[in-house]
Amino acid sequence: MVKVELKGLIREFDDGSRIGPINLEVKDGELLTLLGPSGSGKTTTLRMVAGFIENVGGSLLFNGKDMVNVEPRNRSIGMVFQSVALFPNMTVFENISFGPDMAGWPREKTIRRVEELADLLSIRHLLLRKISEVSGGEAQRVALARALATSPELLLLDEPLSALDLQLRERLQTEIRRIQRKLKITTIYVTHSQDEAFAISDRVAILEDGLVVQIGTPEELYDSPSNEFVATFLGSGNVLSGRIIEVSQSNLIVEINENLFEIPGQGEIDSEIKFSVKPEDVIISDSSEDWAIAELVSITPQVGSFKVNLDFNGTPLIALTYDESLVKRLRVNGNRTISFSFKEDSIIILRN
Amino acid sequence: MNSKAIPKYTALAFPFLLLVVFLLYPVGTAILQGMSSGTQLLDVFVEPNTRFIIQFTFSQAFLSTLFAVTLGLPGAFLIARLRFRGRSIVRAMMIVPFVLPPIVVVVGFLQMFGSNGVIDSILMWILGSDSSVFNLATGIPGIILAHTFYNVPLVLLMVSASLERLNPELEETAEILGANSFQRLRRITLPHIMPSVLASAVLTFMFCFMSFPIVLAFGQGTYMTIEAQIWNAFRIFDYGQASALTLVQIVITLALASVYIRLGRDKNETGRTASIRTTSFSKYNLKEKVLIVAYLILVIVVVLGPIVTIVRASIFDPIAKKYTLEGFANLFTFGSQGGLNYLVNSVFYAGLATIFAVVLGIPLAIAMRNRSTAIRNVASSLILLPLGISSITVAYGLVLAIAVPIGLVTNPWPIIVVAQTIIGLPFSARAIEIAMSKIDPEILDQADSLGASRIQRLLYVELPLLAPGILVGGVFAFAMAIGEMSATLLIALPQNYTLAVAIYDYLAVRDFVEAGAAALVLVMVCIIAFLVMERVSEGSAGGAL
Repeated sequence: MVKVELKGLIREFDDGSRIGPINLEVKDGELLTLLGPSGSGKTTTLRMVAGFIENVGGSLLFNGKDMVNVEPRNRSIGMVFQSVALFPNMTVFENISFGPDMAGWPREKTIRRVEELADLLSIRHLLLRKISEVSGGEAQRVALARALATSPELLLLDEPLSALDLQLRERLQTEIRRIQRKLKITTIYVTHSQDEAFAISDRVAILEDGLVVQIGTPEELYDSPSNEFVATFLGSGNVLSGRIIEVSQSNLIVEINENLFEIPGQGEIDSEIKFSVKPEDVIISDSSEDWAIAELVSITPQVGSFKVNLDFNGTPLIALTYDESLVKRLRVNGNRTISFSFKEDSIIILRN
Repeated sequence: MNSKAIPKYTALAFPFLLLVVFLLYPVGTAILQGMSSGTQLLDVFVEPNTRFIIQFTFSQAFLSTLFAVTLGLPGAFLIARLRFRGRSIVRAMMIVPFVLPPIVVVVGFLQMFGSNGVIDSILMWILGSDSSVFNLATGIPGIILAHTFYNVPLVLLMVSASLERLNPELEETAEILGANSFQRLRRITLPHIMPSVLASAVLTFMFCFMSFPIVLAFGQGTYMTIEAQIWNAFRIFDYGQASALTLVQIVITLALASVYIRLGRDKNETGRTASIRTTSFSKYNLKEKVLIVAYLILVIVVVLGPIVTIVRASIFDPIAKKYTLEGFANLFTFGSQGGLNYLVNSVFYAGLATIFAVVLGIPLAIAMRNRSTAIRNVASSLILLPLGISSITVAYGLVLAIAVPIGLVTNPWPIIVVAQTIIGLPFSARAIEIAMSKIDPEILDQADSLGASRIQRLLYVELPLLAPGILVGGVFAFAMAIGEMSATLLIALPQNYTLAVAIYDYLAVRDFVEAGAAALVLVMVCIIAFLVMERVSEGSAGGAL
């Protein structure tokens, strides 16, 4: 298969905005996801890899070979677009066999390949249907089969599931992952959904304003976001900012919203500091007197826990609790305030 | 039906009733008169002259369609794919030839391609010749070239709109699956645009099939289409022939219309895609650049040329070979044969016809959006009917069934207004209907929920939202009415002549500058109409086609 390297890839637009320089390495057989809000450059990056838009700088290497001047159709790429883009004037079979036909495969080989893929994706019963007769989820499978038909070395998926409802999306995520693992095909996946990225990827690259801000496994990103954008975008962290008022050997005393917190770390007195705390590391109590006080906004029951939204002098704060009796007490006595603290070693100081 | 619905149904029934009285009844009367005139209908078709006319009608329409599609297709690709400044203006201007009166096009063609016209003058100067050396504005070349001029923009508009609806990701998918540009064109792009190519071809064929002023002016009696022969037959009181030809024409145009509607219906395309891929001119290679420029020159000569040269036609007298302002002087002359009479007539008739076309167009547009399929179908067929029935037949029927019985024969001007209303109605109703379809029904529900009564809702919500559509429809109807020549020519006595009819008359007596000046006035009206439509509808005026 193929190892893909993007080295300082840059794309500039007429309006002056630009994407890149992007540096990325997608390992052989890996599924790497480009994750970011809309406009962050993930689709542009994918289209540069496909060759639909030219980069103005940098290089794109497949197994060390420069691809910039290679036509899209000679890059051995399979691609599924956001709009699915099935050919409306052809049947499902004709859609899947389009690539083999273009490559001039013998008929029998094409038929065998189409049937093999149809079995793999459980769409064999659809082969003779028109495109207008297949459902949204089926269309995605057909598009995937079509992209895989000529056994490309690299698979590019551009938000392929964004138009589907949640249940179908989750089912197809697992399916795409299963097939990708089975075929061991190097894959670049684009999405704006953190859930989808985490569910499907070996590694995730987070893009912001045309730059890769962090790459890592889903766990690495979740546990240690490198900056505020990543922390808030992933929704994993509460981001708090304050002023350092005291520095000891390995700890800092930080003033946040007129409350003092002791956190591990280093810094200079009087400087601003930002850090994130995951919701499961925020502990809440209705009895501790010496903790900071926050206003209770809402309690949402969810699988295995309760999500508690707090308002800490204007800063929103999310806590997770497993304490059912605490929640019950809060509901019954109508308390509007609650005290909170952070678990030890739970604080991640963010770079600016 | 509850009591509240009665005023509503009365409002809907009113235009239906008027169309029955002023369209179906007169046309039916005219056809019946022919059938009872003693001529056996079938005999008419055996006659060699009639057979030649039917053959000629088909073959000129076929050739014109072929030319228009051949010339329009490359333009459709350029409009959709080439990135250049002023693209939206060029696209919007495609509507201008459509509202340009045919008789004005005749004047433009004589000036561009005729003897002593622009091309001829240049050739004469090059060859040092004193006599005319080049004349395409006559006979078959003139007819086909003028039809091509008319319909290239139509093909261009319809096909480029379809190209823009093609999801660019389809072509990209084909590209990444290994298709080269020819394979993409054949397997993806052509199948996608084929329905719109066919639809534009059918529409072009239909227009050329029913064409009248162009055939009359360039055919000069030698080449007649069915429509021209119907006019001729009425003039020589051969009612049997007129009615037989009318029947043939109705059957054929209705068949074409139904093909057109079917082609338009089965497209499951979404709206214009935002991410359409365009290429700037500099990205093409030299050969492609040369082809593009050659094509543009051809289009400028054939489509823009005849419009621009009307300016020359209004001041250059080809007989005396000198420049003169007599044409304009004539336009400001009152009294017998004075152009001012015609101008006043034109504005008066077209103005009245516009008011009627809008007043009738609103209930018809409402009926076209009715919940009941039957009402919708009746409304849309009634609106299409004037497009499918020869305007000569309508005019003759109106004279026979309305003007004669009520004694309007000595001054039949109200009949002209009626005919022009019928001809403008499809355009006003369609434009209003488009505006209605753009109103979000939830806005109306919102007005209801805020406590607006039915009348308040109409006055403060619906009409203000519809106003641009009504204006576009009115302007469109006005442009069609003021340029109408066929029906008006048949109905009008000399004191009722409009500018369009007068142009035909001036051409017949070789008063070329008078014809040119009058044509220029009509061009100005069309351009103003276009600017209004463009301003009001923000570039979607083409949808009214």
